[in-house]
Amino acid sequence: MIRGLWDRETVALLLLICLMPLALAWLWYGGIEAWARLALALVISGVWHLVFMLVRAQPPSFAGAITALAVAMLAPEELGLTRLLIGISFGSVMAELVFGGWGRNVINPATATLAFLGFGFPAAPWPELVLPVAWAAIPAALLGVTLGLMPGRVIGGALITALIAWGAGQGGWPPGLAPVLPMAFIVLVLLVCDPVTSPATRPGRWLYGALYGGLVVLFASDWQGAAPAQIAVSAALFASLAAPVLDEAAITLWRARRRKHLG
Amino acid sequence: MSLFQSHGHFGGMMPLRAFNAGLVPAIHTAPPAPGGVVERLTDEAALIPNRAEHLRLDMICEEGVQLAQGAPVARMRDHPEVVLSAPMAGRLARVRLGPGRQLIELLFFHEAEAGRHDFEVTAARSGEAAAIRALMQGAGLWRLLRSRPFGRMPAVGETPAAIFVMAADTRPHAPDPVAMLEGRGEAFSRGLAALGRLTGGPVYLCQPRGPALAGPGAVEGRLRLLRCGARHPQGLAGFRVHHDHPASPEAPVWDMHAEDVADLGALLETGNLPGLRTVSVAGDALTETRLLRCQPGANLRGLCQGAVVPGWHQVLSGSALDGHEATWLGLRDRQVTVQDNHIRPRRGHWFRAALTRAARPLPVIPTAALDQAFGTALPAMALIRALSSGDDESFTRLGGLSLLEEDLALADYVTGAEPRLSSLLRAALDRIAAEEGL
Repeated sequence: MIRGLWDRETVALLLLICLMPLALAWLWYGGIEAWARLALALVISGVWHLVFMLVRAQPPSFAGAITALAVAMLAPEELGLTRLLIGISFGSVMAELVFGGWGRNVINPATATLAFLGFGFPAAPWPELVLPVAWAAIPAALLGVTLGLMPGRVIGGALITALIAWGAGQGGWPPGLAPVLPMAFIVLVLLVCDPVTSPATRPGRWLYGALYGGLVVLFASDWQGAAPAQIAVSAALFASLAAPVLDEAAITLWRARRRKHLG
Repeated sequence: MSLFQSHGHFGGMMPLRAFNAGLVPAIHTAPPAPGGVVERLTDEAALIPNRAEHLRLDMICEEGVQLAQGAPVARMRDHPEVVLSAPMAGRLARVRLGPGRQLIELLFFHEAEAGRHDFEVTAARSGEAAAIRALMQGAGLWRLLRSRPFGRMPAVGETPAAIFVMAADTRPHAPDPVAMLEGRGEAFSRGLAALGRLTGGPVYLCQPRGPALAGPGAVEGRLRLLRCGARHPQGLAGFRVHHDHPASPEAPVWDMHAEDVADLGALLETGNLPGLRTVSVAGDALTETRLLRCQPGANLRGLCQGAVVPGWHQVLSGSALDGHEATWLGLRDRQVTVQDNHIRPRRGHWFRAALTRAARPLPVIPTAALDQAFGTALPAMALIRALSSGDDESFTRLGGLSLLEEDLALADYVTGAEPRLSSLLRAALDRIAAEEGL
């Protein structure tokens, strides 16, 4: 018997390759500071993977690099080394490694890190990413969906919500939404489309994308004084908390349809 | 070797069945041998149990007796109605029974002059269900039926809720069942009608696109035609059963290959078992891909003799996805795969070995490839999670009882899951069977 190639590490590596356009564009515009943040995040995440390998015999994963990239791109600025260290450690340990590593976690570790840093240190300013980085997220999403790694239905659900919001605004974006959109799309690709923590059923994925989009629209119009990154990360966090419920609902629906179909 | 094309489809809600769902695994084989289907009886053949099957036998014949093809050799100790019959005209060369007279191997040598065994078929021709049942049990055809859930030979008195006749096979390099039935239409419809007598429920005929293999009036109007797409796993009985008539311990569902159904028809017509099955011999360690007609239980080395590339190789009974290393052709297998196994296990470092052993079962990441490997027929991740956590209730709720190991072989190939999902499925089925007291 022969074995195929879509095991955990292949998926993690391919996902990393898919995110390369986004990462390179961000590094290009972010300069030396971006490189330093990425290196720091990689080292902290790597050390925790190493610790869990030595203590718990848990094989390290390239998914740690994806987490590090997302955190480096989206973490609040001017935090200082200690706070960043605490934040990344909390995210990768409590959201991923204690569950047994990537593939068994229920929440994206990068989302957990960012939410922790955002809620824990509200005074720190959220980063602003330049527009070309958001454009670079489009090839990343296309690559991911074509290779079947990112759930295209999640992106579809989010885009449909955006269209509905646009339609409701009579041919224009609702107030406050337009400046949030580029960051919302980057977060969609980086955090929301994680194959492990997004729902695994098809209707669940549509709903998940729509929920994320809806939360972004809601926060953008009603959350005064919030930064785009803060809005998008919070929406990603709340949407991912609802993911298991969406899956469960989709399976219940599937079973009801099946019972009807089989008589 | 592991490249494949994936073709999603664009149904909105999770569809119950999609015609183009599935994958086309790119598994290499040698160019086809000239001359089409060739008849090739190997000098040796054997009756062996299925994997994990325990058959306690009472021998009818002694070692060394010459037997006509189809002649009874042994009967089941617990159900003497069910008989094992000689796979070819020859001599019973060796009887190997284990403790408790469990079948290990009955070896036969080919001797063409022994002729064919004549069966008494007048009663079965009348269409009486009990007579057909007795004929199938007495002629060794009963073992070719497979009952779901659990995938065993049906119990002697079992009445199925439905029967699936598989005239489609989408495993890589599988011989085409429709081609096997060419010129055997009469025998096939006779066999189909006889099989239909064994159930009061529907008989499903799964076949690819093209002219229907049986008319709508066949089996007293209980025949339902199901069309299968060309992508794997659409031509496997498991997902068809899952979709159209889920199996449960109270309402078992049988499946049988179309060629075996035609054999049943021929037996009813002539009183003799045809005794040949179409087998493809494929793989990357061959110089040519063969399409043969050989006896059941044929010697695999005999089937691929003269076509094997020198060097290390593995001979599997079954396809590259779900086959097992074997000496003899498996009971229901119609494929032999000869493949390079130059990827020999390296002597690993103890630390690496500790790491890979510690995290079983390895996590499976949901991808589009995984969805397609299940033919988009059911919530794949939910089923995998139920299997890896040993949650038999969720497994049953998701329709897992209709599936067998071969149905998850593609998912195993795609994900490289460790331990194999098919072994987890077998363990779950065994647990459920034990709970049901079966």
